[in-house]
Amino acid sequence: MRDVSFSIERGEVCALIGENGAGKSTVGKIIAGIYRPDHGQLVFEDESLFSYTPLEAQSRGISLILQELDLFPSLSIAMNIVINNIHFKYLEKGLIRPRIINREVKPWLEKVGINLDPSIPVEALSMAQVQLVAIARVLSMNTRLIIMDEPTSSLTDDAVANLFDLIAELKHDGVTIIFVSHKMNEIFRIADSIVVMRDGCFIGKMLARDTDHDEVIEMMVGRLLSGKERQQSWKTNDFILSVDNLSTLRIKDVSFNLYAGEVLGVAGLVGAGRSELGEALFGMDKKIHGHVTLDGTLVDVRSPGGAIRHGFGLIPEDRKIQGLMMQLSVKENMILSRLDQLNKYGFLVNWKIQESVNELVESIKIKTSSIDAIVDTLSGGNQQKVLVSRWLMVDPNVLFLDDPTRGVDVGAKEDIYEIITSLASKGKGIIFVSSELPELLRCSDRILVMSEGNVVKILNTEETTQKEIMFYATRVLQ
Amino acid sequence: MLNNLEKNRLPLIFDMMASRMKKFQSFTGLLLIIIMAIILSPRQHGTGRVLFLTPENISDIFRQVSENGIIAIGMTFIILTSGIDLSVGSVLALAATFCAKLLTQWDPSIGQPVHIFLAIFLPLVVTTSFGTLYGLVISKLKVQPFIVTLAGMIGLRGFARFLTNNANLDIGFGDDVSSVFADLVSPKPVVISTFIVIAVIMSVLLSRTVYGLRVKSIGDNLIGARYAGLPVTKVLLITYALSGFLTGIAGILHAAQNHQGSPNDGISYELDAIAAVVIGGTKMTGGKGSIIGTIIGVFIMGILTNTFRLKGVDINVEMMAKAVIIVIAVWLQMPRQHKSKG
Repeated sequence: MRDVSFSIERGEVCALIGENGAGKSTVGKIIAGIYRPDHGQLVFEDESLFSYTPLEAQSRGISLILQELDLFPSLSIAMNIVINNIHFKYLEKGLIRPRIINREVKPWLEKVGINLDPSIPVEALSMAQVQLVAIARVLSMNTRLIIMDEPTSSLTDDAVANLFDLIAELKHDGVTIIFVSHKMNEIFRIADSIVVMRDGCFIGKMLARDTDHDEVIEMMVGRLLSGKERQQSWKTNDFILSVDNLSTLRIKDVSFNLYAGEVLGVAGLVGAGRSELGEALFGMDKKIHGHVTLDGTLVDVRSPGGAIRHGFGLIPEDRKIQGLMMQLSVKENMILSRLDQLNKYGFLVNWKIQESVNELVESIKIKTSSIDAIVDTLSGGNQQKVLVSRWLMVDPNVLFLDDPTRGVDVGAKEDIYEIITSLASKGKGIIFVSSELPELLRCSDRILVMSEGNVVKILNTEETTQKEIMFYATRVLQ
Repeated sequence: MLNNLEKNRLPLIFDMMASRMKKFQSFTGLLLIIIMAIILSPRQHGTGRVLFLTPENISDIFRQVSENGIIAIGMTFIILTSGIDLSVGSVLALAATFCAKLLTQWDPSIGQPVHIFLAIFLPLVVTTSFGTLYGLVISKLKVQPFIVTLAGMIGLRGFARFLTNNANLDIGFGDDVSSVFADLVSPKPVVISTFIVIAVIMSVLLSRTVYGLRVKSIGDNLIGARYAGLPVTKVLLITYALSGFLTGIAGILHAAQNHQGSPNDGISYELDAIAAVVIGGTKMTGGKGSIIGTIIGVFIMGILTNTFRLKGVDINVEMMAKAVIIVIAVWLQMPRQHKSKG
């Protein structure tokens, strides 16, 4: 993040908006004292602050409500509210008295509109209620500035309406709110002012009433293509995959077609259901209804193993958690999903393994001291290539790549684009999820835009712009 | 110039030595223990030979470690999947008592060889089934291995006692079927070669087969294994069944060697097995380890016991010494904090 400056007035509701990775959450965490800025200063209520801890921030009245709420699930509502603010008045003969605490937190619960017994453990509550408890907690600390990091990301429409009512009320009481979000509709519903960020930089601040969706989106994406030509298109007119009204708990009625040789980009903001789409196709999430046709045959995939047998591959988003076995070697990681072909009576056939692994390591340029090196010792980009080559070994007809360029260096990114294009040239169908729009515009033939588990729009890359993609990605369907 | 070169080279040579040492670390530990045993060992009366090195003593050590060795090999597979099996002591007791019961209280009208075969075979079926059951509960119901096998440890101990009404079932010394069984299974060569054959087969199974690689992958990264499309449930089932099967074999050897099936035997055997596995360099969190390491661990513990016995040291002192050895061995094998990223 670089040189961000803006100011907010008391009692203002300020929306902080930007793409994935624009630095919104980082700004919030710096204000709340979780991260330290390298330079620059913060002035809060005429007092200049530079380096402080979250505790000091709280004592000055600055609180952050995180996206993944940081409450203690097995403690009661009341205990969660007082936990980092245990006061002598809650004690009786030196012992904690739940009865006293339950009585003391009543006003705060009323303020946020929770009519529940304060002794109920937080794990028994719905997401919306947990959110309200988190707000009650910061209010109880005499907070005058609340930073909410994507508070609506897991709420239902009713709960969002409730939350907005509460925000309006808090504003009336003189509490200032910074609202980190990327949902355009919501922002225009509650924000007084909008701060746009992009690539770690401050782009601009304006009053909500003086601007509109278009202008904000333009400011969010105003970035040029990385200067490279579009990759060659290999799209044919033969269907390789058709998805018809596919629904799981997290995606709703998704339908699209994928052609042989096509790269279908998937755009969407965090939580739009992009990874969930892959997991649904890969048999990791239980299907509620819908049909998937692969290569002309209707398939019912119930497990990743089944998906692989039908010729469907998925490269997961999180390399370390969902992907690689960090203590195993490059070779072992690469052959894992292809073991059914590399054995004889259950024994590994070493010459076959050596041959195919060496060939791949060379052709996709994995930098490793040997194929027996432990994967953990490789750089991020090379680790990603190992994961990609696990699936090149399997050679599926349809490959779903979930943000394969996240956290890898520029050189490795280029290599990954090359791999995608070369797969397409062999007539494979590629579904390419990315958070970087220029990358999608460069590699894909069409771009499928998702929001809240729905497919909002499928755009032709030739005829679309970053602005248009972002317009659909930030649209909240009713 | 030369000076500079030397300076750059020294750490390199040191690194190489360190990595060599690391590879054979548990082996180095075994050598140290053997040297210590030779030094401490008393002399044989008359001949003045080192008692530790006499063939009888060495084959005694092999015999003594066989049961723990066989159990620890199964345990290695389980720990590699990042699981644990606390029930092996109870499973051993169950196999031993069930085998003894079949031999002494069952009189089928079949030939003696078939009777003996069934007395070995049926307990193995029972212990393997219980292993499979653990695997099922762990992979399907997602209950933690610690809890499932803790329940097994309690329940199967009860089952073993229930089978025999708390009594020890003696396997006779005459010429009845149970004596024939004991004479057949208990000789040193039989016990030791069973151990060696199992060790070789299981070592190959771990390092050379699809199943072995899947075991390590699941232990290293369970979520990753699911994304890679590995048959996680199947692998876990096989692994726990295997541990049940191997422990069953140890139980039958135990019954034959002790001439009885006692439902109270095998207490704390799980801890001996786990100790051997970790001394052998297998990580408790799974993914990394080897059978040869476990066997070295088994021998380190076995030689220690043997040395203390030869010296006539109190068994309680022996336990205290083992405690220290376990911690030191594991500490020595922890990864050191220098990684080369490139």
